[in-house]
Amino acid sequence: MAEPARRLQPIDTTAEIETPEHVRFHYPVAGPARRVVAWVLDLLIRGAVLLVFGIFALMGGFAIGDAVSELSSGLLLVIYFLLEWLYYTLWEVAWNGRTPGKRALDLRVVSVDGHPLRIGDSFLRNLLRAADFLPFGYTVGLVAMARDSRFRRLGDMVAGTMVIVEERRAVASTLRINPPPTPKELSSLPQRLPLSGDELEAIELFLRRKEGLGPAREEELAAMVAPIFASRMGIRNKDSARLLALLHARASERRRPL
Amino acid sequence: MRSQDEIVAARNADWRELENLVSRAEALHHLDGPSISRAAALYRALSGDLVLCRARCTPDLVAYLDNLAGRAHSALYGAEPFRIPAFWSLLTRDFPRALRKNASFFALSSALFLIPCAIGIVLALFVPDAASQILPRSMLDGMADMYSKGFNEGRSEGTDSAMAGFYVNNNVGIAFRCFATGIFFGLGSVFFLIYNGLSIGMVTGWVTAAGFGRNIGTFMCGHGPFELTAILIAGAAGLRMGYSLVVTRGRTRLGSLRESAPDIVRLVVGAAVMLLIAAGIEGFWSPSGAPAPVKWSVAALFSVLVTAYFLFAGRERGRAR
Repeated sequence: MAEPARRLQPIDTTAEIETPEHVRFHYPVAGPARRVVAWVLDLLIRGAVLLVFGIFALMGGFAIGDAVSELSSGLLLVIYFLLEWLYYTLWEVAWNGRTPGKRALDLRVVSVDGHPLRIGDSFLRNLLRAADFLPFGYTVGLVAMARDSRFRRLGDMVAGTMVIVEERRAVASTLRINPPPTPKELSSLPQRLPLSGDELEAIELFLRRKEGLGPAREEELAAMVAPIFASRMGIRNKDSARLLALLHARASERRRPL
Repeated sequence: MRSQDEIVAARNADWRELENLVSRAEALHHLDGPSISRAAALYRALSGDLVLCRARCTPDLVAYLDNLAGRAHSALYGAEPFRIPAFWSLLTRDFPRALRKNASFFALSSALFLIPCAIGIVLALFVPDAASQILPRSMLDGMADMYSKGFNEGRSEGTDSAMAGFYVNNNVGIAFRCFATGIFFGLGSVFFLIYNGLSIGMVTGWVTAAGFGRNIGTFMCGHGPFELTAILIAGAAGLRMGYSLVVTRGRTRLGSLRESAPDIVRLVVGAAVMLLIAAGIEGFWSPSGAPAPVKWSVAALFSVLVTAYFLFAGRERGRAR
């Protein structure tokens, strides 16, 4: 019954990748806000590099003479050019799809089918910034991102890439029942629970979500199933959420000796 | 059936180990051999865990494993590194081949650039009023003034490099914009090709009308073969991109675009290299004090070289495969 629903793609900003080894996993796709911050960081870095070279050029010009100042202003323009057209590609190739700004925000560029970024594609997506930037401030790029389910700007579409989030996450914590079930409470439950695997799974999922729910909502959700279980086992249902916790405790205690 | 806590307890050590390996280096090939094979084994085990957990565990654990799998995948399959041989075969084989394959786009972009260029020259020479309606007169006069001195005495080294820097920016910017705006169904490329053709033609005509045609001719002939060709190629790549969006041959627009992407990359990278060569020539050779006949013969040599390169480089020898 739940099967067809499970196969549907969730309406979410994740992209499913299937690797050549048939491993499937999901990447959260990076939205405009994060990418704008990363872009600003990269802009600041580029500006800082240019500023440092500019100061050196200026000092050189004052100290030695016009010939040097012209030489260095030529150099400065070349550096500006490199920063403008190659900065992103150089970093993305060296750091596997990341620039310093992207790294700071845990972003990475990968191809849409999950393969790592190729040099040509990186070059292409960054050249297309010239089109995405039009008419000013990445307006075209933002509109394209808003229209696309994977937040791709035009450059990403041409190069077949997307930007994903690789934030480190923590392992889910172990489940604790608070306060711990007393032997008296447990003794009221039957030794063998007349519950299917799916039902036990649902109970566990509910208990893990409990922390994030308000008390009223918690009670409401628990009350949808607890009375059914209680009547099946012929016990009294005083506190629905507590009953579910106890059922889970009994189920895992029965499993443990194995 | 194991509960989530039991799965975590059993597998957590491996996950942490993989996490450490993955965060130690940007790409795994920076690590030593045993670490790499250990990481690969852990990654395979993790993909099994992921399937199991997706069926049984809570979304936060699945998200953690998804994330770890993603990072391990990125680390295992690092980005393609820059390889000199690959770049070399692009330049000696793939780039000229791609251009021959897309000759019709090159012809179209040449027409879009050269016809307005000719119109610009004619306008500036014979209808100066019209020319100054299109480009500001002060700019045209400024250009004429710039070329009035000629290059007999050459310029200083410092000026050379300043000019080279300026040209790199200006011309690469023009070429890349000609290309990138092709994403708008080719219209941007069309616009920029016509616009730049017209203004370059007009400036040339104006300077010639002012009596300095010899100067601008000897100046432009050196880098022209590389620079103008590169701009035309970038424009052709932009037109190719726009064309693939319009004529999709039964694919989706994006699919058709991706299909043409490899050729587009080759054309644009090749054009970028040509622009770099042009900038070097433009900064240091074109303004030098070499006599005009020498410059014209060098220009002829360059033109022959570029033409021969595009006609013959990367052809299969004979019919042998």
